[in-house]
Amino acid sequence: MSTPGLENELKRLIVETLALEDVDPEKIEPEAALFVEGLGLDSIDALELAMALEERYGVQIGEDPELNQAIFASVRSLAAFVDEARHR
Amino acid sequence: MRPATARPEDPVAFERGAVVRRAEFEARVDELAGRIAAAGAGRWLVVSERGLETAVALLALARAGGVAVLPPNRQPETLRRLGAGTRGALPRDAPARGRPLEARAPDREAPWVELYTSGTTGEPRRHLKRVRHLEDEVATLEAVFGSAVPAGAPVFASVPPHHIYGLLFRALWPLAAGRPFHSESLLHVQEILARMARVEACALVSTPVHLRHMAAGGGLRALRGRCRAVFSSAGPLDADTAKAVAECLGVSPFEILGSTETGGVALRQRSVHGESWRPLPGVRIERGEDGTLIVSSPFASEGEPAGGGASRFRMGDRVELEHGGGFRLLGRADREVKIAGLRLSLPAMERALEQHAWVAEAVLLARERGGETRVAAALVPSAAGRAALARHGRRAVGAALAEHLAADFDPVLRPRSWRYVDGLPRNAQGKVPRAAVEALFRAGPADGAERGLRAGPADGAERGLRAGPAARRRERWLRVPADLPALEGHFEGHPVVPGVAQLGWVMEEAAALLGSDPRVRGFEALKFPTPLRPGDAALLRVELEGPVLRFWLGEGERVFASGRCVVDAGGGETP
Repeated sequence: MSTPGLENELKRLIVETLALEDVDPEKIEPEAALFVEGLGLDSIDALELAMALEERYGVQIGEDPELNQAIFASVRSLAAFVDEARHR
Repeated sequence: MRPATARPEDPVAFERGAVVRRAEFEARVDELAGRIAAAGAGRWLVVSERGLETAVALLALARAGGVAVLPPNRQPETLRRLGAGTRGALPRDAPARGRPLEARAPDREAPWVELYTSGTTGEPRRHLKRVRHLEDEVATLEAVFGSAVPAGAPVFASVPPHHIYGLLFRALWPLAAGRPFHSESLLHVQEILARMARVEACALVSTPVHLRHMAAGGGLRALRGRCRAVFSSAGPLDADTAKAVAECLGVSPFEILGSTETGGVALRQRSVHGESWRPLPGVRIERGEDGTLIVSSPFASEGEPAGGGASRFRMGDRVELEHGGGFRLLGRADREVKIAGLRLSLPAMERALEQHAWVAEAVLLARERGGETRVAAALVPSAAGRAALARHGRRAVGAALAEHLAADFDPVLRPRSWRYVDGLPRNAQGKVPRAAVEALFRAGPADGAERGLRAGPADGAERGLRAGPAARRRERWLRVPADLPALEGHFEGHPVVPGVAQLGWVMEEAAALLGSDPRVRGFEALKFPTPLRPGDAALLRVELEGPVLRFWLGEGERVFASGRCVVDAGGGETP
């Protein structure tokens, strides 16, 4: 899947998994921060999102906290990670 | 905080793959203590997610006679507020030089650590721990749990070191017991599992949220035999997760009950104690007249003096005492909840919301979603708030209100659902009935439920039928006539519409929705919170979702009936 397609899929996944209300997936900016600022997600969301990625795409994040923080920074960074992990 | 047998080469902490040994750790503490002393001790902010940095700062402060101020989160507003009146943040703002201070036994009565929780006013509330409070609790932890963790086994943690549980279990206790600890606070399951898989034996200091996710994935089983002890605190661990963790690891988690005011109070290991809690040694418990737990403990830093250095403190948990000294918890007596281990006073957040110009009135609920507790906010907007909703939309208004709360509350405590209503129902005691607000959130945002809570029909007249989208929902206002046959025999002088009659109306409405008489297979979650009387007007709403019919009968201030049932559509076709 092309990256824009994957990004849109991830936006919907985020909104559905986390039951975000009043959020239109299409209006999530791919570069906007997901956590604290921007979409305002928190640590519980991070855990749920990691599990959803594993279920949906069969990809698992690694053990490096700083790298994981970078992966979960935005929809764009998430898409890049999923895309790369799937083709590994 | 130093075991008698400590050797200079013993590892104290692991950080980013490097080992910090006792000699280096002590040297860091000596050096920082000297710098603090050069500034004349005083109160210092300690802002770090890392156990090592926090431990060095705390021990240096103890040595220099200073006090650590541990902010509950890293929000700029929190740091600004708590930073005022301190000498700055450690180690950054300490003088560059000082004479290293040699270790000495600290004064046990000296103030040592200030912890903060969200208070009932919205202001963070300060809790001062003296040296003896923490020292005595650490000694007790080792006496109770020491044998469960092999000597030298490292301690991993998914909780930060700036709350009481993390501070004790992942930093001070390991330090005093000569067990190395991992400095990082690990968020993701993979981060935790991968590190634990590389050691022979270890212990995990965690929370229900993390354990639930770890047990759900497959990785925990691989740690059987390695992870020798699991600690869970900062909220109730559900029985299923406790069981799943025990099955994976072969050890049942130690659950710890405690609070910032009291420190550790009781423990439970479900394989041994079932649902029953056992007080920690030295802790006495009573049941107060109001049914809540009263704790007398040498670790408690608040409450009335109880002799021998102990304090007697009333916790908000309702309790049932058992024979043999154990007790069971029956839930909170007040409107205080825990989310991801953080305490939240709902009234405090309601007041904070009501300080915003867009909010006239706020009522919060703690709701379960996916096993986690989350806050939901029902608001009556002010005129300015209504204008903002019209101009900027719900999402922007919710985001702005969340931002407003960020000054006082951790992000994880923010409301996740927002409903905007014209008025909030109050009962005779002036309280907002939970069921009425709950009904708002059970439906999606911006649909009929918000309308349902409005002040009700201005004239009380029936408004006739209203079909919901795609006729999957129907709404109808009805008024109870004084001569309703069902009222006969129902409480002379106090006529009340029996529940069965209310369900009759629900079935009539369901038949209209389905186009045939429904066959009902049992009611669920059936409630009649408020008696329905002659003359009452009420909105009846039925909603079909697959085979499940949900219904709600209520008016502005009251919910008369709510519930759901599974229906067969009979012979008719659903539109």
